Amino acid sequence: MAATVAHSQHAPPPGLHPLQTAPVKAAGSGQEPTQEKNILDDKPFDIGAGRLSASDFVRVRTLGTGTFARVCLVRPSHGTEADRSKVYALKILRKTEVIKQKQLDHVRHERQILADVRGHPFITNFLASFADHDFLYFLLDYVPGGELFTYVRKFRRFDEDTARFYAAEIVLVLEHLHEEQGGVAYRDLKPENLLLDAEGHIKLVDFGFAVRLGNNESGHPVETYTMCGTPEYIAPEVIHNKGHTTAVDWWALGILIYEFLMGFPPFWHSNKMELFKQIVEKPVVFPSEPPVSAAAQDIIRQLCTVDRSRRLGNISGGAARVKEHPFFAAVDWDAVYHKRRPGPIIPPVRFPGDTQCFDVWPEEDEHWDEYTDELAERYEACFSDF
Amino acid sequence: MSSSGFTSPFGANSNPFGSSRIEAGGMQRVAEEEENDTITSPTTPHFGQSAGNTFQGPFGGDASSDPQQSGLRGPPSTEGYPAQYNFARRTSVSAESLKPVADSYDNWTPPVHPKSPEQLARLKTAISGNFLFSHLDDEQCAQVLGALVEKPIPTKGIKVITQGDAGDFFYVVEKGSFEVYVNSSGSLQPGPDGMGQKVGTIEAGGSFGELALMYNAPRAATVISAEPQCTLWALDRVTFRRILMESTFARRRMYESFLEEVPLLATLTPYERSKIADALESQKFPAGHTIIREGDPGHSFYLLESGEAVAYRSGNDTPVKHYKKGDFFGELALLNDAPRAASVVSQTEVKVARLGKSAFQRLLGPVEGIMRRTRYVGVKTGVEDMDPLQSQ
Repeated sequence: MAATVAHSQHAPPPGLHPLQTAPVKAAGSGQEPTQEKNILDDKPFDIGAGRLSASDFVRVRTLGTGTFARVCLVRPSHGTEADRSKVYALKILRKTEVIKQKQLDHVRHERQILADVRGHPFITNFLASFADHDFLYFLLDYVPGGELFTYVRKFRRFDEDTARFYAAEIVLVLEHLHEEQGGVAYRDLKPENLLLDAEGHIKLVDFGFAVRLGNNESGHPVETYTMCGTPEYIAPEVIHNKGHTTAVDWWALGILIYEFLMGFPPFWHSNKMELFKQIVEKPVVFPSEPPVSAAAQDIIRQLCTVDRSRRLGNISGGAARVKEHPFFAAVDWDAVYHKRRPGPIIPPVRFPGDTQCFDVWPEEDEHWDEYTDELAERYEACFSDF
Repeated sequence: MSSSGFTSPFGANSNPFGSSRIEAGGMQRVAEEEENDTITSPTTPHFGQSAGNTFQGPFGGDASSDPQQSGLRGPPSTEGYPAQYNFARRTSVSAESLKPVADSYDNWTPPVHPKSPEQLARLKTAISGNFLFSHLDDEQCAQVLGALVEKPIPTKGIKVITQGDAGDFFYVVEKGSFEVYVNSSGSLQPGPDGMGQKVGTIEAGGSFGELALMYNAPRAATVISAEPQCTLWALDRVTFRRILMESTFARRRMYESFLEEVPLLATLTPYERSKIADALESQKFPAGHTIIREGDPGHSFYLLESGEAVAYRSGNDTPVKHYKKGDFFGELALLNDAPRAASVVSQTEVKVARLGKSAFQRLLGPVEGIMRRTRYVGVKTGVEDMDPLQSQ
C-alpha cells in the first residue's frame, strides 16, 4: 500500500495510522524509544509557526473512533521539555472514508465552524488544522474528564440538580450557536458528544454535522435538508425531510434532559424504523419511577414538541424563553457562563494527560481504501482549507 | 448483550412507552414482524448489529478485556431500566447532503416511469401504511409513485439485497414472493448456509428495505426471490429525499413571496417571514366551500395557493372581492377577534395556506408590537382599503 505519509521512514503495519507511537508511561513499559534520535528534536514546537504535520506529534492513545475519524491523545514530538509534556487531542479523518461516506461538505463545515466558535467556554477549543496525503487533522485542546455518556451510564441517571447544571451549560452553547453566531445548527446533541473538563464543566465536541444556515442572496434564512444526527435524538421534521433549522437542537435538548433524568431516552427501539415512527407519532411519556418534577416534565415536553411553532427555543424569545422556564428558575446565568460553580461530578483526572476517564479503543483501523491519484485529482481541492 | 439480563419494572418484554407491540428479542422479532407488519421491513438493521460500530460499551459485554479501566467502570444497578434498552454508545448517521435545485442551479426533475392505473393503485396501497409515505401530500405522493422503477426478477434464487451491504433502495413486491434470511453474524457469509436462517416471506403487496430511504445503513437481512418471474418496484434514497425536499422548498419559497405582499406583515424581517412560512398549514377545499363565514370570530389568516375564491357580504349577491393565487384574506384575525366582515367562498377547487393567530403570536409575539415597529399605520394600501373583511 502506498497509503503512508512521505516523511515516514518505515511503512507502518497495515491499518495503523502513521503517527509515531509514544513511549507511553502510563502503560508501564518504562522503555525508552529505541528508534534513532529524531532529527526534529531540537526544533521548537509552536502551533502558530507555519504548517503542522503528523510528524510534529506522537500518539499516546486513541480516545474514540467513529466511522471515518479517530481522536487520539498526542504530545509534541519535539521542542523543549515543557513543549513535549503538553498534550492535545488530534482528530484524524481518513480522506477516502470522508469521500466514501459523502461527508465532504460536513467536514468543510466542521473546520469552518470550529474556527468561528473558538473561545466559547463550553465548546471544544480548536487550535489548528492540517492535512497530508491520506488524512485530515484537527488539533484541539484535550478535555480529560471523558464523555458525559460514561457518567450518565455509570450513575444510571442524574438527579435534577445535576441534570440542570449540564442542561444550563448546553442552553448557553445553543444560544451562542443559534443566536450569537447567526444560525449555526449543531445537529448531533447527545451525551456521547459532551465531554467534562477537569472541573466538571461541559465541552461540546464533534462538529461533524454542524451547519451554518445563515441567509441566502435574497436575505431569507436557509433551511437544510440533509438527514443526519443520532437516531434516538433526531427531530420529527428531519425524519419527514421537511427542511430543518436550529429548532432540531432544542428537540434534542429535550431528549437529553429526559435521558439525564431517566437513564435512557424517551424513544428507543432496536429497529430503527420503529424508533423513527415513535418519534413522529408518540408523545413523551414518563414512567411512574423515578419521580420527575412537574417543571422538568414540562420543559422536556415543551422542547420535544412536534409542532415547531410551539417548540420552546424556537418560539418567540428563542433561548431567553428557555432560560426563563421554571426548570431553570434558580439558575444564575451569569454564574453559569463564568463557571463560578464547579461541576456536580469532578472527573478523576490525576494529571493533565491522564486518559483514565476514556474507554480503551482499538488502535488500528480495521480496513481502509487507498487514497488514489484519481481520487486526489477529483477531490483534493475540497480539502484545500485544511 | 448483557442488557437482556436487566429486569424491568414494566414487566418483561413490555415497552414502558405505551406501545401495544410486544417485543421479543433479536431474530425472533424479525420473523414476527415479517408476518404481521408490513410497515417495518425485515431488512432494517437492529441495534448493536450495525457495522462500523466497533465499540462495545462498558456495559456491552467486553469490559473485562479492558485493562486500564478505572473505578468509573462497572455495571450500573439494573433496577428501573427497561429490559431491552441497549446501553452502548449510539452511532451518528447521515444521508447524502442535498441542496434544492434553486440553490444549486443544476437541473433536476423527478424521474417518471409509466404505470397503469391498476399498478398505481396497487402501489399506493402498498406504501400507504408506511409512516414515511403517509404524510406526503398528493403531489409528492404522485411523484414518488411515478419514480418507482420496475425491476423484473426473472429467476428463483436471485439476491435482491444482501445482509451487511450498503442500503440504497426500497422495494415493493408487485408479483411473486421473496424469502428473508438473517445470518446471526450480521452479514452474508460464504458457503451453503451463508445466508443464515430463514425468518420470513414477503408476498405481493409487501415491501422491504425502507430504512434505505433514510440513510445508508447496512442491510439487516438477505432477501432472495422464491420463484421465477417476480416483479419488484424500486425507489432509491436520493430520489425519494429529493422529491420531498424540492416540493417543500418550492412551497416554502412561494409562501415567503406571498407573505411579502401582505401589508400587515410588511415590517417582518426575512427571518420572521421564514418562521411564519414554516408554520403555514396547507388545506384543500372543493368549489363552493365557505372558507370563512361572515359573523364568525376570526382566528386564522389565509393565503390562496391555487384556485379562485370570492368574498360576499350578507344582503348582497354580488361578490365584493375576487381572490386568485397569491391573494390573502382574513389577516385582521391576527390583530383581533372581531367577527369576520364577509364570507369567502371557493369558486374552484382551492388550496389555501392557513396561519392561526395563536401560532403567529407564539412565533413572533403580538402583531401590534410588529406594527408599532414602523409607520405601518400610514401605509395607504393597508387592509383598511383593500380588505372587505374589515368591520365598519
